Amino acid sequence: MGLVCALLAVLLASLPVAAATRLKGQTAPDFALKSLGGENIRLSEFRGQVVLINFWASWAGPSRMEMPRLEKIAATYRSNGFVLIGVNMDDTESSASNFAQAYGITYPLLLDLRKEVVRRYAVETVPVTVLIDRSGIVRFVHKDYRVGAEQTYVAEIRTLLKE
Amino acid sequence: MSKPSPTARPCRSSLRRGLWTVSLLAATLLATGFATASESGATTAAVPPPAASAAPAPPGDTPPPDADAAASQAPPEEFRSLDSDVQDLKKEVLDLNKDLFVLEEELLFPANTQVAVYVSLDVGTFFNVDSMTLKVDNKEVANYLYTAREAEALIKGGVHRIFIGNLKVGKHELVAFFSGKGPHERDYKRGATLNFEKGVGAKYVELKISDRVRKLQPEFIIKEWE
Repeated sequence: MGLVCALLAVLLASLPVAAATRLKGQTAPDFALKSLGGENIRLSEFRGQVVLINFWASWAGPSRMEMPRLEKIAATYRSNGFVLIGVNMDDTESSASNFAQAYGITYPLLLDLRKEVVRRYAVETVPVTVLIDRSGIVRFVHKDYRVGAEQTYVAEIRTLLKE
Repeated sequence: MSKPSPTARPCRSSLRRGLWTVSLLAATLLATGFATASESGATTAAVPPPAASAAPAPPGDTPPPDADAAASQAPPEEFRSLDSDVQDLKKEVLDLNKDLFVLEEELLFPANTQVAVYVSLDVGTFFNVDSMTLKVDNKEVANYLYTAREAEALIKGGVHRIFIGNLKVGKHELVAFFSGKGPHERDYKRGATLNFEKGVGAKYVELKISDRVRKLQPEFIIKEWE
């Protein structure tokens, strides 16, 4: 009985992890979304570059903290074959564009109004950061944001850029 | 007949093992060509050794002619045959992969029920395609966003298969919504409908966007292919 309970506890503990990181080691699901600038962007067109996808929402506090830091990372590594894409989870385009203007975000922000990409990437919390290598494989997945997490992103980006 | 003594058994088995080892060794030697060399050892004294097996030329000798150099650089016959075997095997694997792909397509989309819809763009001066939505029998089956690169590929003559699926025999309705930038960079959205009868064979439909020069407007044509 005790063994069953222990097994059940282990299973329950592993459930959220499995949902969030199940894409690790797999080919990143392809998608095409419209950006705030009106341009259509398809993920597979960035094959050969290191891609960071950041799922964000204007109403999420951690996103507000994280995105200006991501902007700096994007500016630093852009010339080295690094692409940063933000996938917005808001319900309206205006809230996303207001946020982008207020925070001076220049990297492409894509609108997923139908939440298709969010479902495909099993995003359960906001923000979620997914790092994809040059061959299109999901290598790192981070849930939430804590101050200092950008150091980890930088280390991982540098690792992938060197490959 | 006397029974073999217990001590004789290990002797016999060791003898058998020895014979087996020898025969294995002989087979190996034969395979490597060593056996032939040793058999003709008696004649080697009389017949001069072949050029290939000759001792290396002392330093200062004239270099061998080009033909000889090429012959010495060419891979041995065994390696060449092995290489061709590998190439044959690779070709077989590729053929098998192709057959499997065809089989998979046939299984998933049998010719009798198959419907495929293609998008093409002729010139594209009056219309810059942005997205396409396709409905079959009032059910959305495809919604595709074209990136700048994809739109450019269409302008250059590329054809995009937007949908492949199965439909049963009978009457069906296909509605296509084209959206993009029309003349003077204005947002442009247009729909086109095709009522068609699905027969026994596969059905191919082309959604063609072309320029109507007289009216300076884009034209949306749905064409059925047999």
